[in-house]
Amino acid sequence: MIRKLLIAIPLAAAMASTAYAADEKTPTEVLRGLIGSVDSLYLTQSAQNLMMMDDNPALWTVDEGEELFHTPRGPNNVTLEGCDFGKGPGVLKGAVAELPRYFADTDRVMDLESRLVHCMTTLQGFSLDDKAVKQRHGSGSDQMKLQSYISAQSNGMPWNPPLRHPLEIAMRDAGEAIFYRRSGPLDFNCATCHGATGKRIRASVLPNISVPQEWTKAISWPAFRVGHQNVRSTEHRVRGCFWQMRHGQNVPGSDASIAVISFWTDAARGQPAILPDMKR
Amino acid sequence: MFKMKTPLAAGFAAFAAIALTAGCASTESTAGADGKVDYTKMSSTELAEHLIFEANGFRLDMPTQEGGTVRDRHIQDDLQKMCTETRNKPSPEQASKIIADARATIKYPEGGIKLGDWQKGRELAWSGFGFRVGHNNDDHSKRDVGGNCYNCHQMATDRVGGNIGPSLTGYGKMRNYSDAGLKFAYEVVYNSHAYFPCTHMPRFGAKGLLGDQAIADILAYLYDPASPVNK
Repeated sequence: MIRKLLIAIPLAAAMASTAYAADEKTPTEVLRGLIGSVDSLYLTQSAQNLMMMDDNPALWTVDEGEELFHTPRGPNNVTLEGCDFGKGPGVLKGAVAELPRYFADTDRVMDLESRLVHCMTTLQGFSLDDKAVKQRHGSGSDQMKLQSYISAQSNGMPWNPPLRHPLEIAMRDAGEAIFYRRSGPLDFNCATCHGATGKRIRASVLPNISVPQEWTKAISWPAFRVGHQNVRSTEHRVRGCFWQMRHGQNVPGSDASIAVISFWTDAARGQPAILPDMKR
Repeated sequence: MFKMKTPLAAGFAAFAAIALTAGCASTESTAGADGKVDYTKMSSTELAEHLIFEANGFRLDMPTQEGGTVRDRHIQDDLQKMCTETRNKPSPEQASKIIADARATIKYPEGGIKLGDWQKGRELAWSGFGFRVGHNNDDHSKRDVGGNCYNCHQMATDRVGGNIGPSLTGYGKMRNYSDAGLKFAYEVVYNSHAYFPCTHMPRFGAKGLLGDQAIADILAYLYDPASPVNK
């Protein structure tokens, strides 16, 4: 692990200095901008992470994802360049900042993970049981590499999921209902932890969904979680919250999960995405 | 601790365990693809219920520690419904009903409220173990269920507590260890809605989350003069 880190850190640092054009902000600069715009204990809780962010190990994952994305793969031996993430086939710039959204070809509102799975199975011909599709978690998984790369193309761009199609509106509103729905043995809902400013679970400062400047960091995934030593996805965050709330396990890519993600992305509307992020 | 150790519940749990094993094979949802339901014709609440219960939103058949399934957990009781509908701001009439209903759930230990072992209570107050199911399941036969107190409350200051609930540092001392204060603490732990309708705090006694002894131990942590909470 230490050897891996020794390799990773200089590499990530080198990338951080080269991967962003002069007019583009790095994820660290996006976060610093947010910190300057609002008084938020959540955004400033880890000085150490902020200091380390230019060497975010997730930058390495992004790099690995770039290679995977443009390599012909799967039974059909094609790249993912033909995948439409909402702004046209192969257009990645700003695509994740506008997810979840309605896709006519599936007649569904889809998040990044479900759309990526769709393209890997339809374009590349992978089956749902292939490791490339099935393994959703861990920095070493194809899913995390690809999601990190695709998402990084929306760094610094304001969240702007479309709410034009009736299904987009219905899903966002149902997501709000799920967010505030109290249930389970402990009577929790998402707002138990994310409904007020400056609240902590033990030492952890919690983001408030009503403060978009801090909420954008909360929903900026993939992010390297220092406590997990792994890059984690949006769906991983959703799963962790339902588990901690003692509700049960949500199904990744289900409409229930996508509805919650639709609502929480809408709550960050207009604020810049931090991709990839680094979290405690 | 669980009151559902009936043959029926046990059979149900066994059935659910089989369903769970089978259910693990499929990961993708096909919800929304059947074309049978029009999401746009439903209210947001109706759609939320549909997505949870009918559209493969959760692994509903997974067995839970309390005896039952994840499906049961998602079915709201009257209190959960009212607090959801009002976003935790019940009207005065609703609040009165919640308080009355909560009071009716509170059962007192035989022989009165007694303090247990504050040292055990200290660890229970710190522990967040229990009732989690999904990618990891909390095995209640391996560890005692914790009270999660520190997640939301500051208690003895040698450990960092949360601030979703009020600080409980010096709890017993500040109340001169009075009997009335102890009874209040017991009732709040048992069912906090008896005083704070639509509080965030779980109903530890009323929902069977903590047993009598665990509650007595946690109360000792709050109320024993020897406890670090009161130092």
